[in-house]
Amino acid sequence: MAHEYVPEVAIDREGNEHLVQGWQDDYFGGKMGFWLFMFTEVMMFSAMFLTLSYYYTLHPQDYTEASAHLNRLLGGFNTVILLISAWTMGLGLLKMRSGDVSGAKKFILATMFIAALFLVVKGFEWHEEYEHGIFLGHGHLIEEGYPLGKKLFYGMYFTMTGLHGFHVLIGIGLMIWLLKRINAGKVTPEHHILHFNIALYWDLVHLIWVFVFPYFYMIGAAHGH
Amino acid sequence: MATNEQTVDTALYEREKGTYHKILIGLLILTAITFVQPHLFLAHATFEAQLLIGFAKAWLIVAYYMHLKSEKPVIGIMVAFALMLVLFFFVTTIIDVHHFQFTDESYITNGTLK
Repeated sequence: MAHEYVPEVAIDREGNEHLVQGWQDDYFGGKMGFWLFMFTEVMMFSAMFLTLSYYYTLHPQDYTEASAHLNRLLGGFNTVILLISAWTMGLGLLKMRSGDVSGAKKFILATMFIAALFLVVKGFEWHEEYEHGIFLGHGHLIEEGYPLGKKLFYGMYFTMTGLHGFHVLIGIGLMIWLLKRINAGKVTPEHHILHFNIALYWDLVHLIWVFVFPYFYMIGAAHGH
Repeated sequence: MATNEQTVDTALYEREKGTYHKILIGLLILTAITFVQPHLFLAHATFEAQLLIGFAKAWLIVAYYMHLKSEKPVIGIMVAFALMLVLFFFVTTIIDVHHFQFTDESYITNGTLK
C-alpha cells in the first residue's frame, strides 16, 4: 500500500516499547524545505537582475534600442499563457486536495501542454533573432564596432531567458514524474506534498518571468517597431 | 502525524476556486497594464513603472497562488528574511558600483568598446 507508515519501535532494558518519532509524512517540513530551495533560486536570479540593472545604468540608450527590437507579441503571448498555466496548476492542486484525482491529472496535463507551448514559442523567437544575426557567439554579437550595450543586453537576454526556459523544461519533467507518482498511488489527496511542492516550483517559474518580461521586452516598448 | 490536514471539503474548495479565478483576473489586468503603460503613462520612467507593476503581480502570486497568506508565520518570516538579504546585496552592490575605483581599467565602463 502506498505511503504505508510502519512506525519504528524501540525497546528499553525492561522490555517496554517506545514509539520512535518518524518524519516520513512531515507535511509542513516538506513544504518548508522546498521554500528554502526556492530561496536559492531567488538569490541566483536576483544576482542576474542586479547585473542587468547595472549594465542598464551604464548603457541606457543601447538597452532601450535593443529592447525595442525584441518581438513583444511573442513575448507577451508567452507571458499570458504562463500566467494561465499557473492558474491551471493551482486548480489541479485544489482538485487533488478535494479528492478529485482524475480532475487533478487533467489540470496537470493542461499545465504541461501550456509549458511545452511556451518553449515552442520561445524557440520561434530565438530562431527569428538568429535570422537577424543576433545570437550568442554569432552575427552582430561578435562584430567589432557593434555597440557594447547591445552586446551586454542580448548576452543577458539569451542567458536569462535560456535559464528560465531550462526551468520550464525541468518543470515539465517534474510534472511527468508527478503524474507517474499519482498513477502509482504514491500521491493521493491525503499525501500530496509532492504535488504541492511542484505547484510551488511552477509558481516560482512564473514569478521569475513576471520580472524577465518587463526587464527585457518593455523598457524599449515606447521606441518599438 | 496529521498528513491530511490540507485536504479540503466542498465549501472550502468552492471558496478557494473563487480566489484562484479572482487572482487570475487581477493578474491579467496587471499584464494588460504592463503592455499599455509605455504608451499611456509614465513613458519617461518605463523601467520604474514596469518594476512597480511586476511587484504588484509578484505579491498576488506569492500571497495567493503560493499560499503565503494562509501559511504558518514561520514561512512568512523566512520569506521576509530572504528578501531582506536580497535587498541588502542590492544596496551594497549599488553603493559599491557607485564608487567603482577601476572605471578606467574595466572595458565595460571605460567606453573603449563603444
